Order: sequence, then structure tokens, then C-alpha cells
Amino acid sequence: MERIVLVGKPNCGKSLLFNQLTGLRQKVANFPGVTVELKTGQFDQFEVVDFPGTYSLHSLSKDEEIAVEKLNLAVDDDDTRLVVCVLDAARLERSLVFALQVQALARKNNKAVVFVLNMIDEVERYGLNIDIKALQKELGAPVYALSAKTLKGVAAFKEALPSLAKQAQAPTELNIQLGEQRKFIERAREINAEYGIRSDVVLKNQNRIDTFLLNNVLGGIAFLAIMFFLFQSIFTWAQPLMDGTEAAIGWIASTLTGVIGPGIVSDFLNDAIFGGVGAFLVFVPQIMVLTLIIGVLEDSGYLARAALICHKPLSLFGLSGRSFIPYLSGHACAIPAIMAARTIESPRKRLITMLTIPLMSCSARLPVYALLIAVLIPKDATFLGVFDLQGAAFFGLYFFGILMALVVSTLMNVFTRKSKELKDMPFILELPSYRLPHWKPLFQRVINSGLQFIKRAAPVIFVISLCLWTLGYFPQGAGLENSLLGKIGHFIEPIFEPLGLDWRYGVAMIMSFLAREVFVGALGTMFGMSGAEENIAGLAAQIQADGLTLGAGIGLLLFYVVALQCVATVAMLRAETGKSRIAWGLYAGYGILAYLIALIAAHIV
Amino acid sequence: MKTLWELKAKQAAVVETINSQLTVSVISRLQEMGFSEGQQVVCVRRSPFKGPLVVQVGDCVYSLEQAVAEKINLALAS
Repeated sequence: MERIVLVGKPNCGKSLLFNQLTGLRQKVANFPGVTVELKTGQFDQFEVVDFPGTYSLHSLSKDEEIAVEKLNLAVDDDDTRLVVCVLDAARLERSLVFALQVQALARKNNKAVVFVLNMIDEVERYGLNIDIKALQKELGAPVYALSAKTLKGVAAFKEALPSLAKQAQAPTELNIQLGEQRKFIERAREINAEYGIRSDVVLKNQNRIDTFLLNNVLGGIAFLAIMFFLFQSIFTWAQPLMDGTEAAIGWIASTLTGVIGPGIVSDFLNDAIFGGVGAFLVFVPQIMVLTLIIGVLEDSGYLARAALICHKPLSLFGLSGRSFIPYLSGHACAIPAIMAARTIESPRKRLITMLTIPLMSCSARLPVYALLIAVLIPKDATFLGVFDLQGAAFFGLYFFGILMALVVSTLMNVFTRKSKELKDMPFILELPSYRLPHWKPLFQRVINSGLQFIKRAAPVIFVISLCLWTLGYFPQGAGLENSLLGKIGHFIEPIFEPLGLDWRYGVAMIMSFLAREVFVGALGTMFGMSGAEENIAGLAAQIQADGLTLGAGIGLLLFYVVALQCVATVAMLRAETGKSRIAWGLYAGYGILAYLIALIAAHIV
Repeated sequence: MKTLWELKAKQAAVVETINSQLTVSVISRLQEMGFSEGQQVVCVRRSPFKGPLVVQVGDCVYSLEQAVAEKINLALAS
């Protein structure tokens, strides 16, 4: 298929133009271990490839290196007909530095180039204009002024695209060679001086908003308000969607098993498929809501400001300012948080952030915390006379998770300092103009986040779910205690014994690898209760009567703060880092750490 | 000689050189982003506790941490 390649600097509105050209259907190609995403869509008979926003053909990190390598391959490829360089009309100089490099690359490979002067509406809003004809002559290639947002000039560009792509590259003298880096910078400056609009005009609005949003006091309040809103929305907006998904899965399960009738097939469908795999689908709405909010923050330009505000304190722990939003999101669910970590420019800080996100107390831990706190702490106990002790315990667990994450990230930072592969990048962050986000790229991002999660986590969740079900179900009719899983539990009881826990807890802990909240239901089954998820107080009373010691209980709580008991997170880490070794190593590492902490707690309390 | 890190809020200056302690690729990226010789820079704001500074270079606004900003040498604008 004939191909059109779309390139441009970050924040030049390229993604929106891509959407306007190709519609909402697109494919996303990811590369393991790096954040590079190539989006492919269709326009007429052409395949349009959207490359990630880039400042230069000279890469700084592994991600950029791969993006540039892919671009080189694409421009070289015989199917490629046209390279579209998207420029930010209000920031001509900066966008030209990269565009001119790409033009030189295209010329070397004998490919046609067209420049798009995007966001022309912003220039016109200031009552200014750019002499397109003269610029065209200067650049030696066609220039189209348009606005992907207001759609001005987009129709004309679409109409011209097929003929532009068919046209052979006009023989122009190659004025700058690829290696002559300085010349691109100088040339961009010259062209901008001639045709660009004055920068103080463009930046006036942005700087005015920044005096408020980056102000030490007001900016701090705005930051807290926005983050509070983000945090709230994950729980309040996502909750009805999650409940809806759960109800829908439950309905399908009961309808289907009703048709089939009782028996092993029905048990299998109900427990392994709808129970196991269904439980993980419940997280899809939460992931999508979170992706939407982060997307709005990013496209509006605020994300960069948030990173700036958080950079200094987080850098003390070897993290980046951009680690803050992933950490915050991690309190809802580690999956979208790990995806959000992609915006961290430094590969090392990105890895450290991703690996410590699972220490944040996610919403799947809540039922476990709620159960154990109800067991250990009397309902009306107070702390220092005023605080509700149960509430204080919840807070303490969240705090312990954050503390552990900061300790682990500091240590990881120290131990990876010499790593060549994980080069650190200096913190240089562009503060883009504030813009109203457009729904099209956002919509796509949200859909992709859901699909990506399902694609990456579903296979491994299916396998684990199948294994656990088989172990817990056979021999048939024996009940969980006498099942294979129960036998395994008895067999490995010596592992849990030092923690003050018996085999029942061991089995529930193994089963909760599927998702932490499974612990509650599984433990309920072990205590002869069905539907313990709905009756946490009842189960708590039973556990109390059974005599769980305070030390063992606290140990168990801390175990759940630290342990990576979530197969979906492991799958996601494996996909994002591109290495199973890291993902499973982390699982084992946090498992051992959690065990040791629980052991200490069980003995000193 | 003064570095970018020493620039006070609202102060303007001109980029002179970039300290070669930074790697070649970081230096060239900084140049491509606008920190090239002779380019005027304006410090838009300073953050408390030695947090990143905000600087306007040509048509862009960037935030730089101390480790980078103190490697950019300036000549004060007249």
C-alpha cells in the first residue's frame, strides 16, 4: 500500500491532523521496552503513519533512537510516497529545526515533502499572517496553511494530498547535508526571522496563565485542587461503570449457566471464565476513565506544569516530576498508572517509577484492608482521643505504601546509576501553550488504553485463572479444603506458619494472585461462608472468633501493602519493559520483602 | 561569566556557550531547542527550593533543572 508519513515536533497538533485525515479507525504499534507508538490509519488509498513528536533526528534516549530508526526505515521504504512535515505556525523556528532535518532525509531518499503550517488559526487570531507563497519558495516544497482544530484549510489539503503523493520530488539542490546540524538551526532561525510571527505575541497568553498556575501559593492550591479532582473522579465516575460491567458479566454468566444447567461445564464457566477473567474486565472502565483524565491534563498543557511543580521534591528520591501523576493514579489501579509513566522522558526514571507504582495501595487492596482492619481494630476505638482508629489505620497503610515506594526508588536509583542502558536524561521540559483538548485524539487514546490492557493481560489472566480453578475444583465435589489447592495449602503451611497464619490464609493468598480482592472471597469460602465480599463484617467476626493474633494480622496487612499480588500488573510490566525477567523478578522481590516485613511484624507485635 | 541558573526572574541574557561537561548529544539537543549561541533568553520565573526554572527562548518556554541550567553560560544582555 502507498504510504504517507506524518512527522513533526511535540505539541504541533500532529495527532489531531492525523485524526482529521484518517478518521477514528487506527492501529497502534508498540515496541516492547520503549514508549514509541506508531499510529496507522487510512486516507483514500494511502496508509498514513503518525510518528511520535520529535525534536531532532539526533536521539537522546533509546526511545528516540528507535523512533528515529523507524522514521529512517519508513522514509527509505519504496512504498512511501510522501513525507508530511507538520509545523506549528506560531512556533516556526522550533518546528523548522526538525522539519528541515526530515526534509534533508527525504531528499536523500528521493521522497517528496510537503510542509503543513498547522494552527494557523492562532496566528490569525492575533491579526497576523504568514506569506505562504514566499515561504514555499524559501523551503523548496509546497506549504499548506491549515488548522486541524477549526478544520480551516483541511479540505483543500486533503484534496491536494493524492496529487502531492503522486508527484515525483522536484529536483532541488540539496542545500544542507544531514550531518550539518548547526546549519539546520541557523536556517530555521533565518526563515523564522523572515516569515515567523513575534514570539512575545504567541507566549503572552501562556505566560499570563502561568503567572497564576505556577504561582507559589495560588498555583499550589490549583495543583492540589486538580489532583483532588483527578483522584475523586477515578473513584466516583469509574465506580458506576465498574458496577455496570460487573452486573453485565454476572448477568451473562447466570443466563449462560442457566441454559447449560448445573455440572462441571457450568462451574467452569461461572468460576474460571466469568469469575476469573470477568473480575479483571471490571477494571477496564477505571483504566479508561483515568486515561481520559490524564489525556485531558496532557492535551490542555497542564501535565507539563504539574511535572514542573513536582520535580524538585521527587528528584530527591531518584524520580522525575512526571512520576507524580503515575504515582497518584497508582492509588486507583497500577495498570493505567504504568501506562501514564510513559510520559517520563528519562528511561531510568521511567523504569524506577513503573517498578514502584505497585507499592501504591490500589483499589483492589481496599476490601483486604477493610476486612483485616475490621478484624484487628474495634469499631469505636480512637487514636489520640480524636481520630477514628480504623480510619487512621487505613491512612497508615496508604502512607506505608508510599514510604516503601520512595525507599525502593531511592535504592533502585543508587543501584542503576552506572547502567549504560538506562541513561538518565536531564530535565528539560517544554511548557506548551494552553489549549482546549480536542475529543478525537482523546477518544482514541481512551479506547486504545482499554484494548491494550485486555490484549496484554487477558492471556496470562486466563491461564492463571484456569490453573487456580482446576486446582481448587478437583477432585470434584471435595470442597476447597480437600481440593488439590487445599492439599498444596497444607503442604506449604510451614511457609506461612512463622507469620502466625495457617493453611487457609496460605490458600487465600495464593488465589489472590489473580487480583488482591479475591483474598476476601477465598478466605470466606475457607471459613465456610459464601459471598464474603458482601459481608465483610460477618467474615471479620468469624476470623476474630477463630483467633487471629494481632501480630499475624498486622503482618498480613503489611504483606498486602508490599506484595505484587496482581497478575495483570505483572503482565503489564512485562509488556512495558519488554522483559519477563524484570516483571517476574519484581514479583519475587516484592514477595520476599513483603514476607520479611510480615515476619518481623508477627514477632515484634 | 554567569550561568543560566544564576539568572533572576524577569532578567534577560544571551546564550554564549554550553559547558562541555554535558554530553555531546545533550548539548546539541539544547542547541536545537534554541539554546544556541547569540540567542536571547528570558527567565520567566524561579521556583522555590531550587526547583526548576522557567525560561523563554525564542518562541518556546522551557523548564530546566539546576544540573542543566548551570551548564549554560550567558553573556548579560546590554
